[in-house]
Amino acid sequence: MTDNADATLLGVMSEDENPAAEATALLDVQGDGRWMSQHNRFVQECKDAEPDVLFVGDSMVQLMQQQEVWRQLFSPLHALNFGIGGDTTGSVLWRLQNGELENIRPRVVVLWVGTNNHDHTAEQVAGGVLAIVRLLHTRLPKAKTIVLGLLPRGEYPNPLRDKNLAVNNFLRASLPRTGPVQFLDVSGRFVHSDGTISCRDMFDFLHLTASGYSKIATPLHELLLQLLEETPQERRASLV
Amino acid sequence: MSSGDANPAATPMPCEDVQGDGRWMSMHNRFVSDSKGKEPDVLFVGDSLVQLLHEFEVWRKLFSPLHTLNFGIGGDATQHVLWRLSNGELDHISPKVVVLWVGTNNHGHTPEQICGGIMAIVHLINQHLPQAHILVLGILPRGKTPNPLRDRNARVNALVQDELASVSYSSFLDVDPGFIHSDGSISHQDLYDYLHLTPHAYQKVCEPLYKSVKALLEMHAP
Repeated sequence: MTDNADATLLGVMSEDENPAAEATALLDVQGDGRWMSQHNRFVQECKDAEPDVLFVGDSMVQLMQQQEVWRQLFSPLHALNFGIGGDTTGSVLWRLQNGELENIRPRVVVLWVGTNNHDHTAEQVAGGVLAIVRLLHTRLPKAKTIVLGLLPRGEYPNPLRDKNLAVNNFLRASLPRTGPVQFLDVSGRFVHSDGTISCRDMFDFLHLTASGYSKIATPLHELLLQLLEETPQERRASLV
Repeated sequence: MSSGDANPAATPMPCEDVQGDGRWMSMHNRFVSDSKGKEPDVLFVGDSLVQLLHEFEVWRKLFSPLHTLNFGIGGDATQHVLWRLSNGELDHISPKVVVLWVGTNNHGHTPEQICGGIMAIVHLINQHLPQAHILVLGILPRGKTPNPLRDRNARVNALVQDELASVSYSSFLDVDPGFIHSDGSISHQDLYDYLHLTPHAYQKVCEPLYKSVKALLEMHAP
């Protein structure tokens, strides 16, 4: 990497003035309050459930729960799904700071967010993801985190593919290689040799089909099993 | 009828590529290409509620065997569907039944305008496919608790149902199995984000839908 990239990484590390690292509740522009309803439901779930795994992020996370693969691979791991379609790093940060980490002690957190940060540069998006990772380590010091790389999007090569790739490169470089964070990037499995993405994998060239999800789910499940084995369960009694 | 001002919900409009990856046009182009290559008996057209239906088992079990094409695009409002159908998606095909499900994304439009948009689509489909019966599905309620969009959607349904009463080639079907509970709430087990359907809820919606489509196909049969 060039000196410029290193300097940029340092800039990414600082949360000051990175709009993608600002906790931001989503405004209800449509008029049915759905975002807040979903957030409130997750806060309530935190009071009732004792998840070992917490998934958090945008529609890529949320839609996974509607697929068979969730029932088969992730429910059995006692996983909660706090994905909301349309979310950016800022709105995930807000949710996690406002109740969605209360009363729970998951052993692993799976974080997948960034593709909706349309107003931000790749560096800013990576900085936003890092801010979330830091929050998770502060609030859940014993938990491990898996950060999923952003997938390519669009049928043909386009600026958003380049941007998501750049975010992944920043993350790969700035997330610690060892320790409590793992970076899982399966984006290479979606672009064909002619540069196209198939609607068989992403029905709208963004969201995954069942078959698309299986490409992520298998390596993710394997990694989860490995991390769960390494991370002891914290008994509720010991928290008193 | 309006005072003569164009109804934005009934004015064909492609979706602007604000994000930068051209996905809407990619999907439209694929549908146009499907139109050239395939011979569906049934065509579904609309927004994400149509599009996502294709991703669940219920599609494979109930609608694939009927030779059905799915031209749903998430986020589409009536004016987007109108544009797509005016720009190739109805060329070269002659389905016997067209299922239309759109309207919930028409933000900023009045119920009257949305109804006008839906009726414009119905008329357009009839122009292109005079032999087809058009089944217009009622827009579902949304949001966890009572809110203005529920009122808007219900009003659209009432207006559309009324207009379709005098249209021989089209009918209205209410596919809401009762998503609103007695306390006014909608469950996330049915609408996981209080807008989109879980696979379980799709099963409930598709039951009356399948029956209606089958009945219409049988009417067409020689």
